[in-house]
Amino acid sequence: MLISRNIIQSRTDKIHSWLFLVPVFTVLLIAAFIPLGYGFVFSFMRYKLNLQQAPVFVGFKNYIDMFKDELFIKALKNNIFFAVLSVSIELVFGIIIAMMLSDDNLLSRLLITFLMVPLIIAPVASGTLWRMMLDRTYGIVNYLITLIGLKPVSWLGDYRIAIYTIILVDCWQFTPFVALLVLSSIKAIPKDIIEAARVDGANPFKVFTKIVLPITSPVIVIVAMIRFIDAFKVFDTIFVMTQGGPGSATEMLPTYIYRQGIKFLRVGYSSATAILFICSMSIIAWLFIRLRSSQLKRIE
Amino acid sequence: MAVYKTQIKSVKEDRIMGFFKPKMRSKSYLSNFLGFPTRVIVLILLFISILFPFYWLITNAFKVEQEYFASPPVVFPSKITFQNFIDAVKKYEMFKGLKNSLLIATGTTVLTLISGSMAAYALINGALPRKLKRVFGGWFLVQKMYPAVVVAVPVFYIIRTLGLLDNVLSLIIMNTSFNLPLVIILMIGFYQEVPYEVEEQSMLDGCNLFQRYFYITTPMVKPGLVATGMLTFVYSWNEFLYAVILTVNKAKPLTVTIAGFITDKGLIWGPMAAMGCAVVFPVLIIMWLMQRDFISGISAGALKG
Repeated sequence: MLISRNIIQSRTDKIHSWLFLVPVFTVLLIAAFIPLGYGFVFSFMRYKLNLQQAPVFVGFKNYIDMFKDELFIKALKNNIFFAVLSVSIELVFGIIIAMMLSDDNLLSRLLITFLMVPLIIAPVASGTLWRMMLDRTYGIVNYLITLIGLKPVSWLGDYRIAIYTIILVDCWQFTPFVALLVLSSIKAIPKDIIEAARVDGANPFKVFTKIVLPITSPVIVIVAMIRFIDAFKVFDTIFVMTQGGPGSATEMLPTYIYRQGIKFLRVGYSSATAILFICSMSIIAWLFIRLRSSQLKRIE
Repeated sequence: MAVYKTQIKSVKEDRIMGFFKPKMRSKSYLSNFLGFPTRVIVLILLFISILFPFYWLITNAFKVEQEYFASPPVVFPSKITFQNFIDAVKKYEMFKGLKNSLLIATGTTVLTLISGSMAAYALINGALPRKLKRVFGGWFLVQKMYPAVVVAVPVFYIIRTLGLLDNVLSLIIMNTSFNLPLVIILMIGFYQEVPYEVEEQSMLDGCNLFQRYFYITTPMVKPGLVATGMLTFVYSWNEFLYAVILTVNKAKPLTVTIAGFITDKGLIWGPMAAMGCAVVFPVLIIMWLMQRDFISGISAGALKG
């Protein structure tokens, strides 16, 4: 990606090119490097912003406390459940939709345009939308359910159902993302391969499993990785729809860190959670990258 | 002659939806892989499930109070009222939210485009050690990975120390840092498309790096700059996490205002829907203007990093 051009450069050019990086570094310094450093240091301290008290070094106590906290374990479990389920649903539907929209008629193109809509509106807005539609008494979804003859469901108030509701909204918003990316890689498949399979008498489903899936699998893996990592960033939707409730039924890691750090002002503890979070995310990403490179090798 | 005509046709189609070039007729064979009836059903459901929520939002914004609390729900409102918008503006400070959102998104876009395009240009055409480029690549990956919330507490602490709490500026800085990787990746792509000869020639004419950046190369990538800017604008318009952490009252953008509705004001659906329209529609208009660039922008941002 970053291939440099071999231009013979003068000295002013050298100075200029360093100067060109100054604005970026300034912003990153304020918004990323210093906070990360602070977070790392705070994670070994007991420090509460609301008390007039200097931070005290406590070693790994924050990290140990974390695993004693039931709410943290609950948030972790919820988050993993949420990530696995929503990403798999999104992948299945995304791939199906991408396949179905892979022809070039006008209708498909129109639908592709519509697919972008959930993707780019604010998660807060989509949370609001669904909150209105899923309301227990006045929501239209419950009305439709009673039409079929079922009892109205308390979508966000029932601790057993709330997490599935969040998953539903997440899928509504991000299945298009999977679909669009897979679609562009399906379109890039050379025409002759599919034609040849067709001449040989393969039915479309077979072409899908034997040709399209293997060829698009690198893209699918990347998309899965992006979505999986993003699923651990989910905050807006939960904040708007359930606030982590009822009880702690939809508490996830970002909302947990937010609550501990910003609401209870436990700086040290929430920093420790955050640092652990970054580490585990890097491990997951590293695994995915390994998976992808081994896949690329196999194709070669 | 016939060939010529089809060529014209395909050029036209290209113009309509340039990103997906029409390639083959036999594709419909693939798209019916689960059978034609399943396809029709799935696509109709997809269509409804995407558009109906928006229809619901718009109609709710214009319904009178009895109708949005009616059971069975009113799908086609019998009376249209602007009261909800008036309430949203008067009671719930919609204009303040709009102004802040606009300030934040515009500020972020300008700052990100300037700093991002400079960095991208220096990385492509500048005289920088190769290692630095790899460092940058690695940093993009890291930043894409870590959730924004992990630096929330330290950022809150730093911004509080700087006295920038409840100030639009702090949000602009934060949003800029989130959008920089995407902007740099996209701008690198655009700068690479400029022929090498242009750089060489202008260098022979005695332009230094800054002059080449400012007068020659950047004007050539203006369309790319605009598309990237739109994408940044949308992302920072939609940003919520830091908006809710770093603002109290004065600098609240729309996303926070609307979230406030849901958490503590109960069921004031009319103004809430009106506010929702205000959050969603600017973005939809931008998307409509830029549709093909959006797809390529989103996928490039996702796949290249």
